[in-house]
Amino acid sequence: MKRLAVPVVLVAAVLGVGLVAFLAAPSAPTSGAAAAAGIAADLRCPDCQSLSVAESRTAASAAIRAEIVAQLDAGRTPDEVRQHFVDRYGAWILLRPALPLAWIAPLLALAAGVAWLGWWISDRRTRPLPPAPPAPDAATRRRLADEAEALDA
Amino acid sequence: MRSNLRWLLLPALLLPLGWLLFVNIGADPRTIPSQIICRSLPAFSLTTLDGDTFTDADLAGRPAVINFWASWCGPCVAEHPVLLDVASVAGGSVQLVGVVYQDRPASAAGWLRRYGDGGWPDLVDDGNLALDFGVTGPPETYFVDADGIVRDRVVGPLTTQSMRDGLHEIGVDLS
Amino acid sequence: MLPTIGHAAIVVALALTLYAALAFWLGARRNDRAAVASGRAAMTGAFALTAIASVALMASLLTHDFSIAYVARNNATTTPPFYSVISLWAALEGSILFWALLLTGWSALLLHRYRDRHAELMPWVGLTLALGSAFFFAVMTWPGNPFERLTPVPGEGNGPNALLQNNPFMGLHPPLLYLGYTGMAIPFAFGMAALVTGRTGPEWLAIVRRWTVIPWIFLTAGIVAGAWWSYEVLGWGGYWAWDPVENAALLPWLTATAFIHSSMVAERRGGLRTWTMALVVFTYVLTLVGTFLTRSGVVASVHAFTASAIGPWFAVAILVALAGGLGLLLWRLPNLADRDVAPNAVSRESAFLLNNVLFLGLTFVVLFGTLLPMIVEGATGDRISVGAPYFNAINAPLFGALLFLMGIGPALPWGGASWRTIRDRFGGPLLLAVGAALVGVLLGMRGLPQLGTLFLAILVLGILGDELIRGARSRGRSRGETPPTAAWRLATRNRRRYGGYVVHAGICVMAIAVAVSATGASQASATLHIGESMKVGGYTLTLRDVVVEPLRDDPRVTETRAELDYRGSQSGALVTAQRDYPNSTTPIATPGVRTFATEDLYVTLLQADASGGTASLQVFRNPLVAWIWLGGFVVVVGAVFAVWPDRRRAVVVAPAPAREAPASVQVTGA
Repeated sequence: MKRLAVPVVLVAAVLGVGLVAFLAAPSAPTSGAAAAAGIAADLRCPDCQSLSVAESRTAASAAIRAEIVAQLDAGRTPDEVRQHFVDRYGAWILLRPALPLAWIAPLLALAAGVAWLGWWISDRRTRPLPPAPPAPDAATRRRLADEAEALDA
Repeated sequence: MRSNLRWLLLPALLLPLGWLLFVNIGADPRTIPSQIICRSLPAFSLTTLDGDTFTDADLAGRPAVINFWASWCGPCVAEHPVLLDVASVAGGSVQLVGVVYQDRPASAAGWLRRYGDGGWPDLVDDGNLALDFGVTGPPETYFVDADGIVRDRVVGPLTTQSMRDGLHEIGVDLS
Repeated sequence: MLPTIGHAAIVVALALTLYAALAFWLGARRNDRAAVASGRAAMTGAFALTAIASVALMASLLTHDFSIAYVARNNATTTPPFYSVISLWAALEGSILFWALLLTGWSALLLHRYRDRHAELMPWVGLTLALGSAFFFAVMTWPGNPFERLTPVPGEGNGPNALLQNNPFMGLHPPLLYLGYTGMAIPFAFGMAALVTGRTGPEWLAIVRRWTVIPWIFLTAGIVAGAWWSYEVLGWGGYWAWDPVENAALLPWLTATAFIHSSMVAERRGGLRTWTMALVVFTYVLTLVGTFLTRSGVVASVHAFTASAIGPWFAVAILVALAGGLGLLLWRLPNLADRDVAPNAVSRESAFLLNNVLFLGLTFVVLFGTLLPMIVEGATGDRISVGAPYFNAINAPLFGALLFLMGIGPALPWGGASWRTIRDRFGGPLLLAVGAALVGVLLGMRGLPQLGTLFLAILVLGILGDELIRGARSRGRSRGETPPTAAWRLATRNRRRYGGYVVHAGICVMAIAVAVSATGASQASATLHIGESMKVGGYTLTLRDVVVEPLRDDPRVTETRAELDYRGSQSGALVTAQRDYPNSTTPIATPGVRTFATEDLYVTLLQADASGGTASLQVFRNPLVAWIWLGGFVVVVGAVFAVWPDRRRAVVVAPAPAREAPASVQVTGA
């Protein structure tokens, strides 16, 4: 039981601090400027590389930023604004891909990794130990000594 | 059993990886396919550099070439003779339209005086028309057929050949 | 004359590396020491010839010999000497030559150091390195010839890529990165040798660990220096955009880091041999994937070279390396069956294994996200983007979890931890971290990214400090040394352990700085007339003058400069500029950056009109950015400390305790 208590306490401590941090965080962007900045950060700058519309200073990015503000002011929802640009530039403009595969695959991979780790530990705890290999022979020891010496050279 | 099956890992990894490595070689990652091709011209109503109003209705019934440019755009200088050439050869069968992209009208007018004004209307864009077309940056040229459907796009400076190909798409063949 | 010499040197080097491969193979098969020696000499010769070719290309760049296509494309008569020299690696063909130079350099160094040792392994190591080098010479002989001639000879060259000649940092990060990339061929070569000979025991691990950490240091330094370059040059106020080429540098770093950790478990507990071997193979293959992404023209990136014909060559090389590495691994799989010890769920082993799962998870996310646009385009023809918002959303929790493990892992005992140990070791740091988070809230830090990172980083630093103090105190007690002496001696007697702690401390500093700078920046933009001011993040900036004039050391370049005063918690003057290069259609930003301990003031000139006396400015106040570079420096110092050769060393071959399975061989001070 005590074994279990340790990770539980650690995890609880982390979650607790996380919760405090989360509560201390400002809630979702309410102001128009913050919403516009959020959309701009998710759209790819059409005439530069790897930067978002929010980061880029090119003419096209400036035009898109202005259009985002105009559309939000006109009462469109952020999703509608994003769709507006997808209709004109294609899915290419979304830096956060809408493809479900993009989000599912990493989660599956992580889950598989953690499952493998669980299996690895439990498997080795239940399996009898194979015989220990012979200790390194004299030649190996000599080589290791040489190795250590060479590292100092 | 296990000893043989493990070899399946090799083709399972190598075949998809090989496909992935080779499939995109030669494709240019910089060009984005246009969304507006085969769609109708967006509606607009803009002012020209001369102060007239120009709308999408003014293009109805005629093939048109819509060229986005700016005075701050270097390659626009290089492609300008191609446009001037078409205006003089085929000005009767195709409507040329310039759209001044993210620029001051005064600078654009000065640029035309310097490099030659072909006489076609140059619209001052408030930013929306370029976004509606999905323009990535000047120079960029769209070819619109007589029914108002966008048929082709050229990103970057026009060449005589790309202009010829674009015009062919909208039913204008230069002899 | 020079291009002929250079080209001949490359062709002969190709022949020499192929000969070396044959000699090593014969030497290994027939146990022929003379053949191995001649292979070694051939590799040294290849290195010398590559050095000659590099000097020839450098001299051609310095003398502006435009009869060479590479020089004509990447140099001009007005290019300053410094940028002429670094043009060796600033474009495609030259960078391959530079790569070959470093790779053969590492190979020659390694083969000579180990010429009298590891007689069974070294021929296979040499064979792998020779084949790896031969590939680059083949690329330079056929599709990517750096000495290709140009007729007619142009009177003036195109000049270097404007972005690359705008800042002297360009001379720093590519060589560091290339030293890291090419160095990763060494662990791969040892891995192949170990698999072929079946000598996959402790001997292999001891060498490979060391020869992974050394290139890892260069790779780390290169990544941090590259981020610094991006920040100082690109002018968008950030340093990391999850650009495909940035990701390409990160990928082998992630797997190499995973290897460094899992090899500790393997060395100490004997298990995980298949796993560590696979990581070595992946790391090498990922360096090749990186070069493919950068040089084949398949991704759009600020850092990518122009499209070229070498893409298929690299694609084949990746497939061959992966097939060879994995094939050998699968062939040896039955012999590699792990003799692992059962660890407790809360033990250092499981912390290290979870670390590996997380590092591999990060590798998967970064690789998958980078390749996904290629996969989708290849499969459907559609174009999609995967950018910073995606990578940040998925990777931030993984980095957070790693940060947490970084603290508890080294402090957990091998085998398993008791409740008492955990309370003793983590109680104090936990309280410290909670206190730090509360102080953070009082200081105005908000949001999970900032406070969570601060909490975890302080927790880790607390645990590390506690470990050092505990160790020093016990040493001081038993030997009667003063605490500082005891701490220094403790650290220098256990370089790997305490060097590792310094690395972790540096990462903690970087983590806090990244989290705070990413979420706490403020920015503003405005168009000012001379004499007007703007305010951002507590600073008042006043435009003093706008000047347009040619650059002093390259008159073909026109610089438009805005001169500003800033007043706030710090005051002074700064200059931000745009440079118009004759070979660039868009002006290149030259941001003005003022670095202080708590923040950077970062000003980009968007547009300026000297006649009207106006300038459009984008101003960022980026908190704590300097600490990212400082943390990176600490990481490198710690890693160098860890691998620094120790004068006092001992080889301890510990007899295996009854419950603890395999022979755990520890080379202290190595």
